[in-house]
Amino acid sequence: MIDDLGIKDAFASITGQALLQAVLVIVIASLIMVAVQKVLPRVAEKLGGKPRLYLLASVPLLRLLIILATIVIVVPILVKPSFENMVAIFGALALALGFAFKDYANSLIAGIVTLYEMPYRPGDWIEVDGQYGEVRSIGTRAAEIVTPDDTVVIIPHNKLWNSLIANGNDGTDNLMCVADFHLEANHDVSRVRELLRDVAFTSPRTKTWRPVLVIVFNKPWGMHYRLKAYPFDPKDQFQFISELTARGSAELARQGVKFVSVPVAVD
Amino acid sequence: MKDKNNENKADPCLPGGLVPAEQWTLPQTSVRRSLKDAIGHALKQLQAEVSQAEEPFESMDELPELSSAQRKRLAPEPDYSDQATAIACGLERARTEGSLSREVAFLVAPPFSGVQQALARFPEPGQSGSIESGGEEWAIISPPDALSFDDHEANEWWDRQDLSRPWVIPELADFWLRRLSGLALVKELFRRIANGDTGVGIVGCSSWCWRYWGHYLENAQMSPWTPGPMDAERLGAWFTYLASGSGKSTVIARMTGDGYYVLPLAETDENEKDKDSKKRKYSNFLRDLAATSRGNPGVALAIWQRSLRARPDDDTKLEDADEKTEKQSQTADCWVVPLERLSLPTMPQSKESVTGFVLHGLLLHNGLDMASLEVVTGVSTYELSLVLSRLKRAELVVWEQSDERWRVTPIGYPTVRRHLQSWGFPVDQF
Repeated sequence: MIDDLGIKDAFASITGQALLQAVLVIVIASLIMVAVQKVLPRVAEKLGGKPRLYLLASVPLLRLLIILATIVIVVPILVKPSFENMVAIFGALALALGFAFKDYANSLIAGIVTLYEMPYRPGDWIEVDGQYGEVRSIGTRAAEIVTPDDTVVIIPHNKLWNSLIANGNDGTDNLMCVADFHLEANHDVSRVRELLRDVAFTSPRTKTWRPVLVIVFNKPWGMHYRLKAYPFDPKDQFQFISELTARGSAELARQGVKFVSVPVAVD
Repeated sequence: MKDKNNENKADPCLPGGLVPAEQWTLPQTSVRRSLKDAIGHALKQLQAEVSQAEEPFESMDELPELSSAQRKRLAPEPDYSDQATAIACGLERARTEGSLSREVAFLVAPPFSGVQQALARFPEPGQSGSIESGGEEWAIISPPDALSFDDHEANEWWDRQDLSRPWVIPELADFWLRRLSGLALVKELFRRIANGDTGVGIVGCSSWCWRYWGHYLENAQMSPWTPGPMDAERLGAWFTYLASGSGKSTVIARMTGDGYYVLPLAETDENEKDKDSKKRKYSNFLRDLAATSRGNPGVALAIWQRSLRARPDDDTKLEDADEKTEKQSQTADCWVVPLERLSLPTMPQSKESVTGFVLHGLLLHNGLDMASLEVVTGVSTYELSLVLSRLKRAELVVWEQSDERWRVTPIGYPTVRRHLQSWGFPVDQF
């Protein structure tokens, strides 16, 4: 079988020295990759704002470039880069991947598509299969997200094929936050809308140049208000929502507008 | 920008004249300088914890800084009464020409541009002012001591102000606080102005405050005016005007490194047809200064004051020169340290959100006391004290005894603005 594929011939010319050189190149490439993956996120943390996002997004792309460059350098060291040899090696590789590492290969290919389509980038806030968090890194096979509870969740890239991926900021630093207020009916709706808008505008965390919206729904139990605004930093989203909720609630209480409370059944 | 409207009518104390805010453009600089600034800023952000010794200004030049007497002589603070006259004339001219048709004129300017101080010097009734605006006397509207009002109270407060005769608000930022009960006064003022319920008036407003209210009242179109940006030529003319006092003496300023001339300006020399002046080489210092200060006169003056040097024996010469100014024209020499060698204030490394809230709050409100700052930023007094003391050591903020407020310093303003921008805060258009 191996003879039929011509792999034996392809690897016949590998010498000890060539093997050593190839290992050296791979070690150097690995070191550069580790450096890129460690240093750039740290630098990005110091920059903040848009430069942070751009720098974080460049990490997986740089890694891909390093991998490609390593393959381009290593293959000619090991085998004579003739057409027959290339067909033999990649054919064997395809067989091995197809049978033994189907899911792994699936994720690897999805990882490459991820770099091209960019459904998520480091720094994005995404939700996949009910897990919400900030993308910390994008690996070859999987992406890591950190949830608000500081739990790391590994998401294989092949989720891309069959799962819904919700991205809150999509490569920008604009992430809309929503604070909900459930109020009893029979109050001045326009006054409450104006008041909630002021709550957002007076928060030091609000991006005032982005839209601040107050949406209201009439429900059977009362009125449901949704205050939508953008915080300066997507990382502050929970603190921002908490602050809007706390200040909004305090002011609504001061104005005599009551909240709806759901009766709790006790056994 | 060479604004056509005002080019031939420039007053020496307001060289850029007044221009509609949308015509304001950033003074140009070389690509080399822009790149250098951008790289420098990025590196400063990446710097690790800076040592305390690095924070304050440290002269890189061997020549001593100016003494207070020398500074008063060579780079004094401007006389804002003259600027008030120039503003009044500029607005009157715009009204005559028809480019300003509104009864209430909005003057929006970045901090330290001097507009607030000038507007505060408009003559009130009973004062012997010299504002040439049809001999009008202006009622200066001062903010209330406390700024918490509901809509009804705000309405009543404005009813008590006499807005039927010409009125001036030197700084709108003093009329509000970024809290729920702190918006009513400004909202009511804008409502009255939009309804035409007020007489002729001038509202001075910090560009940061204007930006905020532009977002809050998204449909308000007030067509503000602003002082023209200070480019190299205007800065040179203004510095010469400030130093010359009565206009009888000339200032000669040369670079410490290569001896190139900063002042007098090349054009002034050409007018004098001095043979020697044709051989002179002129420095790009003023062009770089105009770009660094973003055409802001107060910031440019602060950096100019810091960059000036004098030889120790120049003190006596200057004193002699002062004595003789009444009799004959005099020449006063001073030296200018290149901008690259000036150690301007840098941002200390700290929790950027808290530092950003504090600095942004100070700029939004034209300075704040500690209690108001706590309300506006939501940062506790304890943490505020730590942040402010840090920023004070770095020369980015200063406590002003006169009105008991913390303010951003003019020399630290470029650094503060740039950092706020890179941290994602909304910055002014200037």
